Amino acid sequence: MELFKRYVDVIIYQKRNGDITPLYVCWENGKKYKIDKVLSSERRASQVGGCGMRYACMIQGKRRNLFLEKNRWFIESYQP
Amino acid sequence: MKIKNVSLYIEISNAYKYNKTAVGSMGKDRTIFHIDINHCYAQIEEMKFPELRNVPMAVGGHEETRHGIILAKNDLAKKYGIKTGESLREAKQKCSDLLIIPPSYDDYIYYTSLVKEIYRRYSDHVESFGLDEAWIDYTDSVSLFGDPLKMAVQIQKEVHDEIGLDVSVGLSWNKIFAKLGSDMKKKDGPAVITRENYRETVWPLPASDLLYVGPATTRKLRQRGIYTIGELAVYPRRFLKKAMGIPGEMISVFANGGDTSPVAENFYRSPVKSVGNSMTMVHDVDNLEDLRPVYYVLCEAVASRMRDHGMEGDVISISLRSSGLDWYGCERKIDQKTDVSMVILHTAMRLVEELYDFEKPLRAVGVSVSGLRPSGSHRQLNLFEDEAAYEKARMTDLVMDEIREKYGYYAVQRACTAVDRELTAFNVKDEHTVHPVGYFQGRKMMP
Repeated sequence: MELFKRYVDVIIYQKRNGDITPLYVCWENGKKYKIDKVLSSERRASQVGGCGMRYACMIQGKRRNLFLEKNRWFIESYQP
Repeated sequence: MKIKNVSLYIEISNAYKYNKTAVGSMGKDRTIFHIDINHCYAQIEEMKFPELRNVPMAVGGHEETRHGIILAKNDLAKKYGIKTGESLREAKQKCSDLLIIPPSYDDYIYYTSLVKEIYRRYSDHVESFGLDEAWIDYTDSVSLFGDPLKMAVQIQKEVHDEIGLDVSVGLSWNKIFAKLGSDMKKKDGPAVITRENYRETVWPLPASDLLYVGPATTRKLRQRGIYTIGELAVYPRRFLKKAMGIPGEMISVFANGGDTSPVAENFYRSPVKSVGNSMTMVHDVDNLEDLRPVYYVLCEAVASRMRDHGMEGDVISISLRSSGLDWYGCERKIDQKTDVSMVILHTAMRLVEELYDFEKPLRAVGVSVSGLRPSGSHRQLNLFEDEAAYEKARMTDLVMDEIREKYGYYAVQRACTAVDRELTAFNVKDEHTVHPVGYFQGRKMMP
């Protein structure tokens, strides 16, 4: 299936040492998706273009890659 | 014939002796990587927008502002014979479907800095050569990270996985051959140039592939029957020195692998020797009065950058390029060192007036200040000059700096620049940064 690059709003928790944990992905329709678990975080290039810190997340039982690119977030989405 | 052979033998022996001196601090041969981000700007655009990989694409300047040249092209565009540096019009003639992307310098600076962070994981000696190239001295890292060839492959992989860019790597015992290596094998893994194989790998290459052998030097070398690096290497060095001076001797040393220049430490910055800006104007200018506002903007930028560096200087140089692409330049030493834009402007305008008759209109102009020293020294008062006016001009500069820093460059402008906004509406200080880098970076030229 084709992947698309979608910039999204993200609610994060940032520790005082600078570590970031994404908590919720906010979709355009106002719906919030809870990130159940962050499986890994590492610097990676995205197959939909761009690069940054990749947070491999479990959202509602599915794995999705969430990227912090410079100062904004995008998700590799199956929806255009 | 016999005499010629003896001469060749002596030169080769000398070359070999020279190679023996190219060793690291521990008395062993150095291990130098040269890493190059292939067609950097185009590749970064492809990384950001992968669909660009499927069309012939080039990063080019803005044709309407007459910066219309190809800065980088992708592989598909290369197949059409499009070359870096040619005009957008020429490129479009070769490939009418060519997609031209305007450059995003901020992104190029950002992503190339991420790439260099990866290099710095493996050595504290990483020297940038422009945005897209860097040398890494891996000599002392061998004991920490192991086999250089494996590490070169590892670095290629890390850059590809983390940033999504492909880099080519050259390995050698000196910086010049390492750079040649990275140009030799763009896609097939690292190129290794050793003392054992350099005669077979490097010497057959055209002399123009060597650093510091540009079109003019290539012509001079061809006049002497020198076409390849090997022919340059064995040509009697004293003849080259006699004909071309120290650069002639230097390229002979380079061709023999005798370069011993060190790889600078991380974040080393060469001392500032001059500060200058130049500009290709939106349209040609055929009189001094129209040129003055352009020089206002340029001199403000130069003076402001000098203040940023905490420097003042007393040698003002101008450069002019006519519509026929002829180049003119001259310089003048002023009485006292300064960082005030009005002083630089007055001197620059006087130089233009003396140098150029506007027979042909001007296309590009530039100004630079050298003879620098740290600012803050006492100023000798002059009985015959209006010191109050000087102080006022200095304060005006400082206030303009402050306003621009707080509210942006265009928040305050000199009234004269409003006469022809098209000509003067450019922020030369922040938007026209180029990254020229000299190989020696202020160090001595000869090893």
